[in-house]
Amino acid sequence: MSLLLACLLAATGDDPFAATLAKLRQTAGKSVVAIEVERDSDPEGVTGSGAVAQHRDYYNRPKGPTSGLIYEAGGFILTSRFNVSGGIRKNGLKVTLWDGRQVVGELLGTDEQRDIALVRIAETELPVLPRADYGKLRQGTLVALLGRSPNPGQVTVNLGILSALNRMTKASVQTDAEMNYGNAGGPLITMSGELIGVACNIKPDRVWGQSGGVGFACKTAEIDGLLERLKKGERIEAPKQPFLGIRPGEGNPDVEGIQIVDVLKDSPAEKAGIKKEDVLVELAGVKLTDFESLKEAMEPHKIGEEVTLKVMRKGKDGWQEKAFTIKLEGMAEP
Amino acid sequence: MTLALALSLLLGQEADKVQDLQAQLHAVVEKVSPAYVFFGNGSGVCISSDGYALTNFHVSGDRQGQRVRMPGGRQFLADIVGFDPLGDISLCKLRDAKDLPFCELGDSDALEMGQHVIAVGNPFLLGNGSWEPTITFGIVSALHRYMDNPGYFDAIQTDAQINPGNSGGPLITMDGKVVGINGRIDIKRFTNRVNTGIGYAIPSRQIQRYMEAFKRGGRVFEGFIEGIQIGECGDGRYDNVGEYGDGVFVSRVDAELPGGKAGFEPGDIIFEVEGYRISNANRFHGVVSNWPEGSTVHVKVRRKAEEKELKVFLGDPAKILERKRAMDATDLGFTVNAKMVVGPVAPGSAGAKAGLKPGDVLFRVNERRVGSWTEFRALLRPGAEMTLTVTRDGKDVELPLKVPRPKTDE
Repeated sequence: MSLLLACLLAATGDDPFAATLAKLRQTAGKSVVAIEVERDSDPEGVTGSGAVAQHRDYYNRPKGPTSGLIYEAGGFILTSRFNVSGGIRKNGLKVTLWDGRQVVGELLGTDEQRDIALVRIAETELPVLPRADYGKLRQGTLVALLGRSPNPGQVTVNLGILSALNRMTKASVQTDAEMNYGNAGGPLITMSGELIGVACNIKPDRVWGQSGGVGFACKTAEIDGLLERLKKGERIEAPKQPFLGIRPGEGNPDVEGIQIVDVLKDSPAEKAGIKKEDVLVELAGVKLTDFESLKEAMEPHKIGEEVTLKVMRKGKDGWQEKAFTIKLEGMAEP
Repeated sequence: MTLALALSLLLGQEADKVQDLQAQLHAVVEKVSPAYVFFGNGSGVCISSDGYALTNFHVSGDRQGQRVRMPGGRQFLADIVGFDPLGDISLCKLRDAKDLPFCELGDSDALEMGQHVIAVGNPFLLGNGSWEPTITFGIVSALHRYMDNPGYFDAIQTDAQINPGNSGGPLITMDGKVVGINGRIDIKRFTNRVNTGIGYAIPSRQIQRYMEAFKRGGRVFEGFIEGIQIGECGDGRYDNVGEYGDGVFVSRVDAELPGGKAGFEPGDIIFEVEGYRISNANRFHGVVSNWPEGSTVHVKVRRKAEEKELKVFLGDPAKILERKRAMDATDLGFTVNAKMVVGPVAPGSAGAKAGLKPGDVLFRVNERRVGSWTEFRALLRPGAEMTLTVTRDGKDVELPLKVPRPKTDE
């Protein structure tokens, strides 16, 4: 105990957060677990295509444990779906508790869109975090993100604020607390140690990458609404939306439309012949001005449908309009 | 017992400080978030109740009538008033706007490294649909950063996380003032456009100095001292040019240009511009470009044992006049986009007198087909009368255009 105080005093100095965060590690940290998975196959752990494919060391699933959260005292552990995706070996899912005990976990249900998963361990009377009052949360509320990776014996803490309250069709909050693969599945908490949500949607196919100041936590209300289905082992798939497979830039000074900074490999856009640096100007007769107008233009069209897409492409003689026929494919979006 | 008491006291004190910061954060977010503008695939910020807004030029371009939104989803059409492509700033005006929430510009000169700031933006367009912007929190990491192309010559560096979609959005101090426009980041890997804790903003003081020129309209050019050639102090190839850090030395002067007329002499060491200490060539360029072309600035030089203050005009008046005449000569009151569609037509302009309407598609001038604005402009002669053929509602319409003559010298 005196050692703890000495550590606290040494760590604080003038930093107003040091003592508060140290306390959160001590208290809330007990509800954080480490999750280790042995796999036979891991298709989702490998990054897909486009520019990101050149940086596999950054995007691919790293070795080592990830994080999880004791959600119900009776042995229900919540984590991100990505953390437990792939072909798990028999008895290959292991949960390490605050006291160092490692127990075998059983994967129950998952939700693809919200990127959450429920794991059961044969334990009872586990410590559970109190819930945050959502009525008191606002943009700018200070938050801490806890994890148990890479060392299951040590709680990590990242500090940030709530960047936005309603993301991903209101299922998640957004935070600027740095979020890495190891953080996914860990709890996002208030400065008083109350649970806001579970870190999710940090995985290879997400453009915001890791620790870029954009992270998400699935809200407790959302999790609670799915809990019975997850306990029954349901694998809830994300609804698929028609997509083109392009990444928009911020604008183009010469041509009004949507500047393309990347075309995803094997995407409908690539198959149709759309190239990086083209500017999308029209979809099925609807003029495009920004990404929002593309979303609106896509709305009436279905997966499998063919639509005409007009782009401006810069060549030797300046900008030329080109038309392409594109067959819309489906993709699960967060 | 003593131990527990000490611990609780410690936590109590710290908790107060955390609560203070929390209160500040909530207050500043509440104040500035409503003034944020969702500008295309980037960001902007409203700076007056009648709808003047700032964004990056690389977000807005110079097109008129772009659809923008404010938090909650309220839509406006934005016209670009003045723009600076090199400095990456555009001033726009939201049409028919009144009583809008806005954020005042603050004093970027008063910033200190380590001070808290927030950024408001729309990274990865996450706020589309819900029209709730993203708030990120950090500190001022450094001041007066110098980068080229586009010219972030005097940038604020921040670790408040900014990402693609944040561009054009405000960097804000804890008293709720805009101290910069975020527009550039250092990314993790070449093709992976995600923040690394290094973001750059154009400082508010620079924007304030450009504001009058922006409001006059059109393209605004950076200030530059014409007619002097400078070198880095301490450059070993020269004698008597001081030590690196002293400033910049003047190596050549053209007597006919503003630098010569202001009284610069070869060998002068420039060490201060408008009260800003000049330590090297980048800083000199960074400070001078804080003013637009056409401004006059005070420059301090060391000449042998003496210190002198010189007043110098930025830019070359002859070139400015020449450019103005060229622009007047072709100021038709309209432009076309890449598909030759006519945009808004200024009332009373040559375009309006010809009878052009927004949406017309221009394709012929005097029996000659034209496929681009550049091609069209090349055919214009001051005072000429030309016939434009446009497609309107599926029909070809011929319109007589009288190209204006340059206005007489002021």
